[in-house]
Amino acid sequence: MIRMIGGEMPEYAEERLPAGGDLYRHLTGRLPTGIRVLVAGPHDTGLVEALARHREVTCLVRSQPDAEKIRVDGVTVLCGTLSQLTDTDRYDAVIALDGTGRLCSPEESPLDWTASVRVLKRALRPGGTLLLTVENELGVHRLVDPGTPTADRAADAWHPLGEFGSAPGRPDRLAAALGAEGLPVAGLAAAWPLPSSASLLVTPETLRYGPLDALAALAAAAAATAYQGRPVLSDPRRLAAAAVRRGIGAELAPAWLAVAQRAPRPGQAVPFAPALVAGPSGAITEIVGASDGSWLRRAAHGPAESPGPLPAGRLLEERLLSAALRHDLPELRRLLTGWMSELPMVAAGNVLVDGDRYAVLDPAVPELPDALARLAHTLITGGYHHPWPGVTDVTRLIAVLAGASGLTDAPGLIGPPDRHSRREQEGQLEALRRRLADAEARAGFFEVELEKREAELGRAKTQIAAFSGSLGYRAAKAGLVLARAARNRITKGRS
Amino acid sequence: MHHGNHFYGHAHVLAGYCGLDPDAPPRIDGYLQHGWNVVDGLGAGTPYAPGRPIFVWSQRTRRRAWSMGRPLATVIGSPFLYLLRSTPDEAVADGSREGTIWYPFHGWEGQKVSGDHHRLIDEITATEPGPVTFCLYWNEFQDSRIRALYERAGRVICHGYRGYMRMRTDHRFLHHQLAELRRHRRVASNRLSTAILYGTAAGCDPAVYGDPMYLDREHTPTADRIRREWPELHGAAPDPEKARATVLAELGDGHLAAPAELRAILGWVTT
Repeated sequence: MIRMIGGEMPEYAEERLPAGGDLYRHLTGRLPTGIRVLVAGPHDTGLVEALARHREVTCLVRSQPDAEKIRVDGVTVLCGTLSQLTDTDRYDAVIALDGTGRLCSPEESPLDWTASVRVLKRALRPGGTLLLTVENELGVHRLVDPGTPTADRAADAWHPLGEFGSAPGRPDRLAAALGAEGLPVAGLAAAWPLPSSASLLVTPETLRYGPLDALAALAAAAAATAYQGRPVLSDPRRLAAAAVRRGIGAELAPAWLAVAQRAPRPGQAVPFAPALVAGPSGAITEIVGASDGSWLRRAAHGPAESPGPLPAGRLLEERLLSAALRHDLPELRRLLTGWMSELPMVAAGNVLVDGDRYAVLDPAVPELPDALARLAHTLITGGYHHPWPGVTDVTRLIAVLAGASGLTDAPGLIGPPDRHSRREQEGQLEALRRRLADAEARAGFFEVELEKREAELGRAKTQIAAFSGSLGYRAAKAGLVLARAARNRITKGRS
Repeated sequence: MHHGNHFYGHAHVLAGYCGLDPDAPPRIDGYLQHGWNVVDGLGAGTPYAPGRPIFVWSQRTRRRAWSMGRPLATVIGSPFLYLLRSTPDEAVADGSREGTIWYPFHGWEGQKVSGDHHRLIDEITATEPGPVTFCLYWNEFQDSRIRALYERAGRVICHGYRGYMRMRTDHRFLHHQLAELRRHRRVASNRLSTAILYGTAAGCDPAVYGDPMYLDREHTPTADRIRREWPELHGAAPDPEKARATVLAELGDGHLAAPAELRAILGWVTT
């Protein structure tokens, strides 16, 4: 059933994907059953369906065509702009996993972040729960974006504020801002790799005191999946991993997910595990601390993809790159040899190395027969210093890496190489310019060398001619000519 | 590529290590460092083709080369170290090391050393505890006057001719040198030089003392800098362990490439 509440957009359908994904679905599925839920903003239909199975669900969307597409039994659809939401209907939970950016239509003056939160709060019953995603305007996803939101030409970008908006810019400020609005925060997590579809949620405490190396590897892996084939300014995997490893994972996360309550009421909150990971098959794994200080993986939903202790150590790819940058050949050879003897078919971005132990981070990722070749490719095109700067050809660098790994050879690249970031392209352009300048200088150098050699050759030829043209030689040659002529005359006389 | 790669049979040693014909090393895609120095690893004043890699002995040299505008440097370690590690030491087995091998400082063909050979020889005989073998550079070895001076104080040898423009290169120069070094307990010179590094790596205790002698128009601050930067290698009896640690780092110990890796680095991959 659709109820037009005013300010709807009859001709407009949302251009970007709604919020969704297995992790968000898992979280909303943990809300108590039998309650009234408002889903505010565009959300994945599957998520709405799952919620509606045991709860009374109302959706709020601004686009009429989108509203008409929500055909889920028992779900009421409110179509219109945010401020038209009245407080006559109150809910036990309000879900705004798409944030507040797509709640207002052009028919009203845009509400800023705080004003939007106030409207959502009014829709909550006392003790009700708000699940709110807040995009980090300085998150890794923004830092690697070749475009900028302040110049966005999309049809819903009539108010493109980007980082000039008023949404909180740090998780602690977000908690404070919600608290100040009478919505004390019961749970907070940093979301990777994209605000609208998180596959990794980690609490700020875990990003401070947790297994940072493994979390960095998970953040990089999440970014790798999300950014496949997408143009980027710089490699989001490295930025995500470096941010987590260096202790600013919460600050540079693409979004934060807050669970807040309008006056606390026990049993209504959605508790966060220290970290939640959505696997490719839809299974959700949680990472929890063990009493001995180690970290465990266990299934939170669906089959356990990789239960047991979380492997310790750092991402092999980062260890390799840092050894290459330090020109630490012994370390680089040790890592390469260990990797190629233990896990030769696993990408360096999916291996955790701890001393001499090599462990697969995500066993669900398919094997890669050209793992070493891909590292060679990353070293050459990724803009990294490495110990073999004179080798500019990937095939030869593969041979060098194979030799350094204790192998005689290794397969070349199978399939297309990883997409390059704009920064890498810039670096490659610069490298090509340098190589061209070197080649031109070398051509000049060789010309000079050639001239010297030609002069030497000329002198040698003169000497040879002088010796071979000696008097005795010339006399012998003349005798030979005369003898031939005489013989010819004799043969002619006979015939 | 450059005839300097053939000096002392360096290219030949590396070809042998890589499992190729040591008498006919293939063309190296770049330039080998052919002696220890405190610049970018290359010979001063030698023209090198721009943009070609250089293969240096140590990280320290690589960093210095980078700072001097030679970014295409790869550390491979010194060819002597490859030879040392792949040639069994028979002298150690029978404990026959004896005396000192002494390398009077020399220039190369175009340079002349000025100094008092007599005084130097007196100081050497007063300092050295055992018999002394003098190893002269080939041009001094051929100078009968200089050779006679040293012959009065000990045995006089020459490791061979390093070669020039790939002509008359003694491919087994380093082999001769290694065999001689392994016959002696000490290696000494009046200047810290490649031979001292080789000798120390080959198990001799090093010493650097005596009149340093100067080359014509030599840049003396460099010689002074060497004495300041490497005090652990100077004196009549430096601490051999400290000296060895420094020497092995300068020769690139721990950085030697495996044969397959070295073949690919030098451009000796046939595929």
